[in-house]
Amino acid sequence: MANEYGIALGMIETRGLVPAIEAADAMTKSAEVRMIGREFVGGGYVTVLVRGETGAVNAAVRAGADACERVGDGLVAAHIIARPHKEVESVLPAGGAA
Amino acid sequence: MANEYGIALGMIETRGLVPAIEAADAMTKSAEVRLIGREFVGGGYVTVLVRGETGAVNAAVRAGADACERVGDGLVAAHIIARPHKEVEGILGKTVA
Repeated sequence: MANEYGIALGMIETRGLVPAIEAADAMTKSAEVRMIGREFVGGGYVTVLVRGETGAVNAAVRAGADACERVGDGLVAAHIIARPHKEVESVLPAGGAA
Repeated sequence: MANEYGIALGMIETRGLVPAIEAADAMTKSAEVRLIGREFVGGGYVTVLVRGETGAVNAAVRAGADACERVGDGLVAAHIIARPHKEVEGILGKTVA
């Protein structure tokens, strides 16, 4: 399902919603990636997920992590999986811009 | 959806609901902005989102951040995005306040 716009998965987790939105904005502006979801993890943690080609996801996650570090309580985690196992797809949000 | 009252996005995040309501009040009173969402993020964090013209959102977020600093556990983050990417629109609060 995610293959139409690239396989690789990028994730940014922040403390609070504002840095998460800032990260999402920076990610989508910096490279050709699609937002596939926003999750309220609990405890104030928010995760945003993107998909795209590996290089684009890499650039996007770097830009997003950089941007959100300066906002509010900032970054918790930034990570890329170049090719998630198909078993993992079921725990990811379905896509279509959340 | 937001274009009828301006593109720019303003966000204020606080620790607790009371400063968030104070911020929302100050924002909507200080400039021509519309409150588009209020999110309970978890962990006691609350975020309020406004939209409007960039100048109005800027003024509103400054006023809101100022006002809520004095209330309760206060401010966590105040931020403006002048023109959010259209992919981002999907993750913004859909809870119209």
